[in-house]
Parts: sequence; structure tokens; C-alpha cells
Amino acid sequence: MRAAILGTLLLTSLLSGCGTSTSIDEFRLSDTRLALNAGEQVVVMGRRHAGEYETEPDFIDCIGDKLGGGDRVAVIPEQQFLDSFYPWFEPRTAPLSLKRMEKMMRDPLIAERIGQLGIRYMIWVDGNTETTQQNGGISCAVAPGGGGCFGFASWDKNSNYEAIIWDLNKLDERGRVKVDAKGSSYLLAVGAPIPFIAQVQGEACKGIGKRLRNFFGVAAVEPPSRSEP
Amino acid sequence: MTMMNQRKAGQLATPLLLLAALLLCACSTNVTVNGDYPSALTRQQPLRVGLVLDQQFSGYQFETSDERQQPVNMALGASQVKLFNRVFADMFQSATTLNSLPGGDSGLDLMVVPQVEEVQLATPLETRLNVYEVWLKYNIKVYDGSGKPIADWLMSAYGKTQSRFLKSDADALNQATVSALRDAGARLVIGFHKVPEIRRWLASREPERQLTRREIP
Repeated sequence: MRAAILGTLLLTSLLSGCGTSTSIDEFRLSDTRLALNAGEQVVVMGRRHAGEYETEPDFIDCIGDKLGGGDRVAVIPEQQFLDSFYPWFEPRTAPLSLKRMEKMMRDPLIAERIGQLGIRYMIWVDGNTETTQQNGGISCAVAPGGGGCFGFASWDKNSNYEAIIWDLNKLDERGRVKVDAKGSSYLLAVGAPIPFIAQVQGEACKGIGKRLRNFFGVAAVEPPSRSEP
Repeated sequence: MTMMNQRKAGQLATPLLLLAALLLCACSTNVTVNGDYPSALTRQQPLRVGLVLDQQFSGYQFETSDERQQPVNMALGASQVKLFNRVFADMFQSATTLNSLPGGDSGLDLMVVPQVEEVQLATPLETRLNVYEVWLKYNIKVYDGSGKPIADWLMSAYGKTQSRFLKSDADALNQATVSALRDAGARLVIGFHKVPEIRRWLASREPERQLTRREIP
């Protein structure tokens, strides 16, 4: 009985330890929502110019899904955009500043393609998720009678991202969202390994996606029966 | 007795050699690079260009030579031929692929001979993730229509595995190499006409082209 209580307490403490803490900072140029007319699209892209890290493509896809969920904001997939504008938005050729973007937009070829695809906003996401600390270890063994793993391992993950919104019509910055998520995961092995994984990157995506959605005025692309959130 | 031992040793040697060969194959990464390259958004130069892709280039195969590195065998030729053909077709009004540099007057404005100068790899053993990094270095030799050298352009490109959860080493290496080839294409499109010698040659042709235009009624 005592062992069962101890086991339950251990499991509860481990599960609660798996929780993720997320903090989000937001900066808006104005309180009005960003206009997005019918036929206009948003592109979410990851920064990959630095050598030491690259913003993960699956994280960018996740933000795109959150932003475009429920057909509120039309989002063009990152790879489709990159292929349409090859080679101008590749990791080492993409504009790092609005000034450079403005210069690129002076090229009729690029401006025309932007117009054809109806790209109104460009959201640049910079950051990554990294494992900051790892402790413990698991060892596994196989014997003629069977096998199993024993041990305990834990690791911490930290997601740090910043999204910057560029308006390509006005060629100015419309706002920023910064997210910082932390969480610890555990792996307990008593015979079979039992993982308790903290969804750090998933929480960061949820947080940043939700805030970005709030930036957009969605009335123009929403059916009249729906109410604005 | 000795004869029997020798026969037994001989019988054992074959499966052991096969096992050793199998284990060695299992440890090395073999990839035939396969990627799709998009059409380039660029203005076509009004030039007739011959792209010389010799056997060494189109059949290029990379093997790691450093014994401390993870053994890698990568067939790069076909994919780089695909990229160069695509990019040159987008960059110039007319691009013809040739197997060797033609002698005498070719009837072309420019002839471009790319050569692989160096390939470098960082393998998961070094990156400690299922992530490869690939550096490609090309020597792009440019000649005018009569075969007179114009420029020797050393162009480098870089690519890295972007998805960390790819199932196999081969997929991760393919992704990194395709990304490096894509970077090479970007360098060609953006950088080719900025190479000082090529820029000078293009500028020297400008009055000639204007003259030709004026002559047209």
C-alpha cells in the first residue's frame, strides 16, 4: 500500500515536472488589426542565414497551420514561396532588413510576382529550440530469459523565437511577437522505458500562432455568418 | 590433420569475409543525390551560351578519404547536371549543353565549363545529430565564342540537413546536398554577371549590341 502511494506521488511529481512555462511579449505599431483583403496572402518564413542555428521548417509549418486554421488567414506554404521566388529568398540571399526588401521590390520581376501571388505580409521567424541540460542515464540489457532497461534521464529544452511582420504594400514593420518556452522531460525505465515529454516547441508554436492571428483583421475573408473573435 | 584444418579454415573464411563485407557496407552511407530545382526568377541575358558538362562533371562521385570520418559514397553528377541545365536555361536566351569545349569558332557568345574543385562534409559523427553539412566548391571557367578565356570563377556553396528527424543517414545527406546545390544555383544566378571579368566582357559587348539594334530598321 505504502509502495503504491509512493509510486503515485512519484508519477504525479514527474508529470507535473513535464509542464512547460511560456512567456510571450508582443509589440504592435497600432491597435488596429492588419487589413487582409480577399485574394491577399501571408507568408511565414524562417531565418536560416546564421551558421550556428536554423529556424526549423516544421516550426514554420506549425505557425502557418495555426495562422491559417479555420481559413481565417490565407497562408502560402514556405516552400512554395521559396520556389516561386528562387533564388531571392534562399538562406544566404534573403533580405535581412526592410531597406533591402525595399530595394528588391524595385525589381519589376520580384514586385510583379509578389503582386501575382497576392503576398501582402511577410512574417519572418528567427530562433530555435535547443536542449540546454541533460542528466542521468538509462542502461538496457538482454539476457536469455528476457531483457529490460533501468535508469532515469532528464533533459531541459528551451524554445526562443521572434516573429516580425512586414507589410509589403507599405514596406514597413507592423509588429513583433517574442516567445520564450521552457520545459523539462523525463525518461523513467524500470523494465520498460516510460517517457514524460514536455512539448516545448509545440507550446511555443501555439503561443506565437495565437498572437499572430490576433494581429489580422479577418472580416474580409470570413463568411458574414461568423463573428469576429 | 593439417590438410583438414586448412579445409575447415577455407570453409570458414568465405562466410567471414562475406559478413565483414556486409558489415562494412552497412556502416557506410551510399547516396545518389536526387533533388528538384525550381525555375529561377531572373531576366534572360540575350546571349547564346554553351554549357560544357564533361564526363568528369556529369559522373562526379564523392568518397570520403579521411579514415577518421564516417565512410560516405555520394553520386553527385546527375543532380548537378540537372541544376546547371535548369539555371543556365533560365539565365540565357539560348543555352546548349556540350560534352567538350568546341575547337575554333563555336558560333556561341560564351562557353562555360564548370568543374568540381572540392567537396567537404560534416557528418553526424561530428555534428552529433542526424545532420550533415555539405560544402561544394566549383571552378567556373568562362570562354568567349572563339575559345579565348574570360574568367576563372571560384564559387562555393553550402547546405545543411534541415529536418532533424529524417529516418536514414542517406535521406539526411541527400537533403543537405540538394540544399547546397540550390545554394550553388542561387550564387550562379545572382553572382555570374557580377564577376569583374565577366562584367567587363558584358560591358564591352554593350556598344556592339546597341549598334546591331540601331542597324535594325
